[in-house]
Amino acid sequence: MELVPWNRNVPHDLWDAFDDLRSEMERSFGGFRFPDATGLLDRTGSPAIDVVETHDEILVMADLPGVRKEDLELNLAGTLLTIKGSKRNEQNSEKRRIFRKETWAGSFARTIELPANINNESVDAELKDGVLSVRISKREEAKTKAISVRVE
Amino acid sequence: MNKNPIANAERMLIPACSIDEDVGVVTLKLETPGVTKEGLNVSVEANTLTIEGRRGGNPPSGEWLLRERPAGSYRKIFTLDETIDRDKIEAQLADGMLTVRLHIQEAAKPREIAIN
Repeated sequence: MELVPWNRNVPHDLWDAFDDLRSEMERSFGGFRFPDATGLLDRTGSPAIDVVETHDEILVMADLPGVRKEDLELNLAGTLLTIKGSKRNEQNSEKRRIFRKETWAGSFARTIELPANINNESVDAELKDGVLSVRISKREEAKTKAISVRVE
Repeated sequence: MNKNPIANAERMLIPACSIDEDVGVVTLKLETPGVTKEGLNVSVEANTLTIEGRRGGNPPSGEWLLRERPAGSYRKIFTLDETIDRDKIEAQLADGMLTVRLHIQEAAKPREIAIN
């Protein structure tokens, strides 16, 4: 891997203007995702997921606001992780007037493929503050090991 | 550091929000996954209700294989009208959903007048 300084501190760099323009465009276009649109078949119908690989485990995180533990089902078959569940709809009252509806209720399912080097036996899942975190250990041989090199 | 102050400003996410009214109570429901009670700040100043939420914990370090969840803090600002009782605002955070209850002042509630 090449080592290139990320941010050169050149005063009054002409390219700064382009950097500003680019980041401004990223902000504008990235912003379209929020607030999330609604609908069963929309993006929010399957939860947004992050997958991070560290040296000894795979961490999967999903945003599941309003989903209760008892309504959530996790399944790991081989390297396929399925997150399935439902979000309950609040009870309706005759006199209730709805002004805005952006939050979503209903069932969802999402399957993702994890790297092949995972250990299916060692899985730990936690649902906290509307975020599901699943930790799956890597197989021993797949873990990166620091090798000390003796210099003579 | 970028010289443009706007480019350096923190990007705030607008949480998905539902609003309904049921017999004198306006309920706001906001999706704020990852926000802890400590990271939540609900404040009222004059006619402005500000809701700010910060995700708890640090992002993990490692190689990102998939990154779909939005990073950043949530902020939503509402303007309250005169009918909302400023002293009776309740907020509750559970399972990543924030529920804010705004009570309508007694004087502003519709009432039936008996005809003699």
